[in-house]
Amino acid sequence: MSELLHFSEHTLQEAALVFMALVYTTRLLWLLHFKAGRDRQAPTGREGTTPARGILYSWANIAMPWSMESTRTKPFMYIQFIIFHLGVAAAIGLSFIIPYAPSLLYNQPLVVILMVIIGGAFLVGVMRIIRRITDKYMRVISSPDDYFSLLLLTVWFAFAFLSVPNSTVRGEWHLLTYFILTAFFLVYVPFSKISHYLYYPFTRYYLGKTMGHRGVYPIRHVPQARE
Amino acid sequence: MNSNNSRSYKAQKVIERMGKKLNRQIVGSLVACVHCGMCTNACHYVLANPDDPTYAPAYKADQIRKFFKKHYDWTGRVLPWWVKAKSLYTDQELEDLKDIVFGKCTNCRRCSINCPMGVDYATFNRMARGLLVSVGVMPEGVAVVSKDQWEIGNQMGVLKEDYIDTLEWLSEELQAEWEDPVATIPIEKMDADVVYSINPREVKYDPRTISDAALIFYAARENWTMPAECWDMTNFGLFSGDDDLGGAVAVRLYDKVEELRGKKLVISECGHGYRSTRCEGPNWGKKDVNFPMESSVITMLRYIKEGRIKVDKSRNTTPVTFHDSCNNARSCGLYEEPRELLNLVCSDFKEMYPNRSENYCCTGGGGAMSMSEYTPRRLKSAKIKADQLKATGASIVVTSCHNCVDGLTDLIRHYKLGMQVTQLVNLVANALVIEKKVMVPVEVIAEPVADLVGYRILVADDEPDFVTFVSAILEDNGATVIRAYDGDSAIETARKEKPDMMTLDITMPGKSGIEVFEFLKKDPELQRIPVFIITGKPELRKLIYDRPVPPEGYMDKPITEDGLLFNIKQLLKIHHHAEKVESKKQT
Repeated sequence: MSELLHFSEHTLQEAALVFMALVYTTRLLWLLHFKAGRDRQAPTGREGTTPARGILYSWANIAMPWSMESTRTKPFMYIQFIIFHLGVAAAIGLSFIIPYAPSLLYNQPLVVILMVIIGGAFLVGVMRIIRRITDKYMRVISSPDDYFSLLLLTVWFAFAFLSVPNSTVRGEWHLLTYFILTAFFLVYVPFSKISHYLYYPFTRYYLGKTMGHRGVYPIRHVPQARE
Repeated sequence: MNSNNSRSYKAQKVIERMGKKLNRQIVGSLVACVHCGMCTNACHYVLANPDDPTYAPAYKADQIRKFFKKHYDWTGRVLPWWVKAKSLYTDQELEDLKDIVFGKCTNCRRCSINCPMGVDYATFNRMARGLLVSVGVMPEGVAVVSKDQWEIGNQMGVLKEDYIDTLEWLSEELQAEWEDPVATIPIEKMDADVVYSINPREVKYDPRTISDAALIFYAARENWTMPAECWDMTNFGLFSGDDDLGGAVAVRLYDKVEELRGKKLVISECGHGYRSTRCEGPNWGKKDVNFPMESSVITMLRYIKEGRIKVDKSRNTTPVTFHDSCNNARSCGLYEEPRELLNLVCSDFKEMYPNRSENYCCTGGGGAMSMSEYTPRRLKSAKIKADQLKATGASIVVTSCHNCVDGLTDLIRHYKLGMQVTQLVNLVANALVIEKKVMVPVEVIAEPVADLVGYRILVADDEPDFVTFVSAILEDNGATVIRAYDGDSAIETARKEKPDMMTLDITMPGKSGIEVFEFLKKDPELQRIPVFIITGKPELRKLIYDRPVPPEGYMDKPITEDGLLFNIKQLLKIHHHAEKVESKKQT
């Protein structure tokens, strides 16, 4: 392993992680400095709908595609979402496995699983880029950050895919690119839409709390189309 | 780039005031959008305008988000172009924003519940409306209605004398119809169990909903009242985004209930009124309300469940469907109770799809009915609702919201659907089975008639099925029943059999019930027979009760077994006692 690759896998990553943590902390403090609205009303709605249940339901929403019309009626989009985010988790995990637990990658089935997931995420990334460019609704709502973040992740998936075997037989360029991209990704994330996962628990917490208090969440699932 | 100096006064104020409106929930929604596009098809405006992507909720939200990012989020300050952050500079930009937040969104919240991130666009769209209103940028209708609500106390500018006149007129009608001094609309009564608040639209355009509600309270023997002032439970603050107006209107009503020492506030059927008064009002007014508040839908359902009112669903046989008001269903969780109630008072309920919290807006929500400049746009977007209504195959659409009544009526007319719009209160009132009180004074004390053994009762009605039904009830309780199917035979049978009492239909072949009754009461031999009118045409009652000697009792069809027996036993008891008193006097 070259010194540059070693630096990229360790020092660069650690510095990027510290930077991300600092920016995230700042971002969280910024969000928390806004006062939380208070709901004075007495609860409404069906029995069993409470703020706590509303919050749990709201958080679990991500795993319940049937709970929203938008995901229920677009199963292909939901599957893409799952694959894409599993790919993100796998690619992030890989950035820790390679420098800190490379022996795990001697396990061939794990390598195959990671490659399938990350490869799938790459394909979804490509599909998403195409959708964002060709769909007029997506075009009108997209910012440069939306395009760039998606492109960044898709390219990152490609190099993560190549890096899964952690092999330098054909050179180090793919690993080097993967780790440099990971470091860039860590630094860039807090400034971009990719940081949405930081906000997700907050937005869904407050929406769930309000909707639970008002008896809307958990939504009572009944047929929503004539059977 | 423009400097602060070149920014209009109004734009500057909007930016400054935004900072005061931001809370954690709103900021979360402003920063969390990932532009995934999943909300797009949740919006009826998008579905009705597939060629215009500017109706997409995420796009509309970005028009607010962009100046939030520019001024309150450092990502937008550092890299504005990169995240589409942009400030506001001109009054024209405010007008453009007005067109979006008032004219392209009804704040129905359907996109909010379909957003995977939990972005509540409707909430910050309302905030943006409030910011524009604060600098005087709003549709004219919003300005007029808000002014009325600020200055006159209700959003339709109904004057106190008109409101009181209407209630008194309705009260007199109710009393006349039911010939019961208790059948009134009590105004400003202290210590009532229920204080009933209404929508000014009811006074101005739909007083039937008030009289129907009064009838239901009367039938339930409720201790209720209506305030003489501060009675408007609607709140234009919800639509205009003006929290000050919202708080003032809500607190006026809360204070009034406290002044009357009312135990509960019941809110008539109105989606935004219910949400504003029941849910948002305490927040806007920063007041912890110490009495319970409920929708009249829940009140009516409770009366039925508690046996305080009886209903007969066979009185509402026309196929009905139910439209969920967005404010009720998506913001207050009120969607099962109306269905439960509908199934109790209607015999043919057809579900609408999608429904409950996934239902589409009536397209008149968010104050859209008062913004005439957007009417063509509203009616175009109403195509989605029209298709939804048509697919139900129902003839009547029921809704628990006055705004929806207007919105639906308008779109039904526009799309020529030929449907009627009504509210639950109308259907419940129509299905009410009220057991009328016996007409003779009831101060007499007598042992109740335990059963009807030994009594001979003449049942006169031209409907054989009805005669069979009544006879079976009376015979099961020991009475001997004699039957007559027209007016002439009723007189003949009465003369021949001398029954202890008779039931009499008003409309019969030959001599009508009125003629039979007059004949009987003029005949010295037959005038002692108590007559109990049972009619399916209560509007004819006046013909018989305006006479010098009224009948001893009456009931409206359809009747119930319990109601019939109660009234007949009561009538016989009183008659028996009166005869005893008369006989004592003679001896």
